Amino acid sequence: MKILEAKKITKMFPGVVALDSVDVAFEPGEIHAIIGENGAGKSTLIKCLTGVYEPEEGIVEIGGENAMKNKSLFDKIAYVPQEIDLFTYMSVAENLFIPYEKSGVKGTVNQKELEKKAIPILKKFSIPVNPGDMVGDISVSSQQLLQIARATVHENYDVLMLDEPTTSLTTRDSKILFEIVEKIKAEGKAIIFISHKLEEIFQLADVITVFRNGKKVAYSNLKDVDTNWIIKQMTGRELDQNEKFYSTQVSDEVLMEVKGLTGERFTNISFSLKKGEILGFSGLVGAGRSELMQAIFGYLPVYKGSVKVDGKDWKLGDTNYSVKHGFIYLPEERKRQGILPVLSIRENISISVLDELKSGINISQKKEEELAQNVIETYDVKTPGSDKKIQFLSGGNQQKVIIGRAMASKPKLLVFDEPTKGIDVGTKTEIYRLMKKLAEEEGLGIIMISSEMEEIIKCSNRVITLYEGKISGEFSEHTEQQDILGAIIGINS
Amino acid sequence: MSKENTKQKSGNAFVSALKKSNMTAMAAILIVMIIIASVISPYFLDIYNLQSVLRDLAFIGIIGIAQSLLLLVGELDLSVGKIACLSGILSGMLMVNVGINPWMALIIGLFLGFLFGFINGIIITRLRLNSMVATIGMQGVYGGINLVITKGKAVTGIPADIQFLGKKALGPIPIPFVICIIVLVLVLFMIKKTKTGRYIYAIGNSKEAAKILGIKVDRIRVMIYSVVGLLSALAGLLYVCRLGSAQTAIGEDWPMNSIAASVIGGISLTGGVGNPAGALIGAAVITIIQNIIVLFGVNSYWQSAVSGIVVVLAISFSSISNIVRENRQKRIKLN
Repeated sequence: MKILEAKKITKMFPGVVALDSVDVAFEPGEIHAIIGENGAGKSTLIKCLTGVYEPEEGIVEIGGENAMKNKSLFDKIAYVPQEIDLFTYMSVAENLFIPYEKSGVKGTVNQKELEKKAIPILKKFSIPVNPGDMVGDISVSSQQLLQIARATVHENYDVLMLDEPTTSLTTRDSKILFEIVEKIKAEGKAIIFISHKLEEIFQLADVITVFRNGKKVAYSNLKDVDTNWIIKQMTGRELDQNEKFYSTQVSDEVLMEVKGLTGERFTNISFSLKKGEILGFSGLVGAGRSELMQAIFGYLPVYKGSVKVDGKDWKLGDTNYSVKHGFIYLPEERKRQGILPVLSIRENISISVLDELKSGINISQKKEEELAQNVIETYDVKTPGSDKKIQFLSGGNQQKVIIGRAMASKPKLLVFDEPTKGIDVGTKTEIYRLMKKLAEEEGLGIIMISSEMEEIIKCSNRVITLYEGKISGEFSEHTEQQDILGAIIGINS
Repeated sequence: MSKENTKQKSGNAFVSALKKSNMTAMAAILIVMIIIASVISPYFLDIYNLQSVLRDLAFIGIIGIAQSLLLLVGELDLSVGKIACLSGILSGMLMVNVGINPWMALIIGLFLGFLFGFINGIIITRLRLNSMVATIGMQGVYGGINLVITKGKAVTGIPADIQFLGKKALGPIPIPFVICIIVLVLVLFMIKKTKTGRYIYAIGNSKEAAKILGIKVDRIRVMIYSVVGLLSALAGLLYVCRLGSAQTAIGEDWPMNSIAASVIGGISLTGGVGNPAGALIGAAVITIIQNIIVLFGVNSYWQSAVSGIVVVLAISFSSISNIVRENRQKRIKLN
């Protein structure tokens, strides 16, 4: 019996066919993984299956009924988005039960009652918070679990859709999540699991559907396939799993020297970075990695300590100074801090090098367009043109535009904060190769913050681990994953 | 059947024209309004009436263009009217009571407006305040100073040799409107062609991203507040020239009209989207509505209500057309 089925759905946007006559079906008691490169049509599919978009052709059936004609059927799909969208200034209990009509809270809302009802749910999901806590005060990891708990509070759901649920989870919490998902599966619900992490897919899912360029290209039982098969289906080509990306041209010259740096979320940090080196920063979510880098960059305040670049004292607390002197930070929060969403791709690229594009005091449109085309070609950005607003590009393509923009200003020091968050395997490899190339050919010093152990090990010449704002370990090239993991969770080996 | 089809087609063309940009849509609606007004009232196209429309338009236009700059970074200034008024009064007193050269007094007046805007900007950026709340407070301050120094009385006897700035016309076109157009051209040049203009849009898109790009976000915000103060003073001074006296009631309805004009002209309240030229079109829509109401002889007690309703309709226009389009798609789909 199929609980949710898409029949020949086609969705078009100006200039692109986002979904091309796609058939896909989901069954109760089954975990169904969906995978595909960025821009393959996964997000569009989700939006069609949850009733946000109406496909131009084809229909969505829920429980055998046409949901195009009866929109209320979409209530049976519980969707957990990738980004956290909780009400920060409301309590955990309130967040769980809003909207009250759907979660069976009748009449007036009684805070005590809500909190009582919340306790068993928090227990079921092993969320270590009190129902009365404000959501803004609990950890990111707890927020992510809470978001999933919220989706399952509405009793009438038949399908649970998880969109990259583990991006902000620690390994421990991912494990908890998977146990819960197994429980929900045992209750006879259908589960849709969207993830770029192949390891998780093999661990959890029963069947897999692969998308490429808006088409469904493969469907299989996971028992019958391996990683290489999935990557080949996704990218249409084979990828070498053992390819390494650390720089082979590390110079002896020190590019940056950080001494005794202390700020709000980090204490007494000292390290150095050489020219042509890729330095990995690993740690738990909330360990202070991003805050440290943002402070060195000048975005956040520094309380104590000093930074030297090329042997000269570096001015802290001024992003304009940093950018002018060749230090560029590529933020993890791409949507909020990276892109300028309603500006075009061209304007997003040119913004950091407007001085070079001027003729007189005018910005030369010709030079601007040349630059944009150059970036689009060099970094293989998939777009119908440079006029398209950047918010309509997929995550991976947005990231490429942002890297292209950074490179246009010819930096000497780059900080990549979670450069591959929400990016597919194929594009990930492209980004790694690019980092390697920049370090080796241009002699850039690169710092990469990442929560993905595999990526840290593949790309870094050295790895520094942070635990609760302090350096808990430093490792050279060929360290075993196990040792680094210990330092991340604060065990001194 | 075929009739139905053509109806559908023209409807789609209309909707697609509207979708292209709110500003062009409003420009089209403005032309329709002008045609209707000239058909209904024989006086509308009268040269004297048109001149008076353009003169009124100039003031809302200048303030609207200024306000649109702030809206582009996602902020607004509710003290524009009081800044205009206070600059006008102070400049008037310098001419009349102190007796300095009226041209000099005008320049000082402009500088004062710039200074008031600068103060707004510094307070808002340094103390990290919400622009709306802060400028509600500041308009109280500027309005209060105004009352203290004038005790509510107008400054009369503005020298005749500068009154032409508000009263005369260049050929058929009133001088305030000529100045308004010059302001628009300068602002458009800045916003579309220069680095600063791009930075303004970037800040309106995301203040965080702009800062990470190394843009001096707060410096640019202060600069915009200062320019808004300067343009407010410009409008206020022209109004003093027009009246021949500096009245304490100048600029009462300018804050609201300037915001309405910008929004009608397609400038988003959340920042990053729009074109200051839209503010001038929006200002024209508002001015012509007010003119039509007068020409129709609407009871003066009703004038404000009627013009309010039309402004709300104008603002809702693009969202109404979206609703209509969605409903039509749904109908086509279900049949």
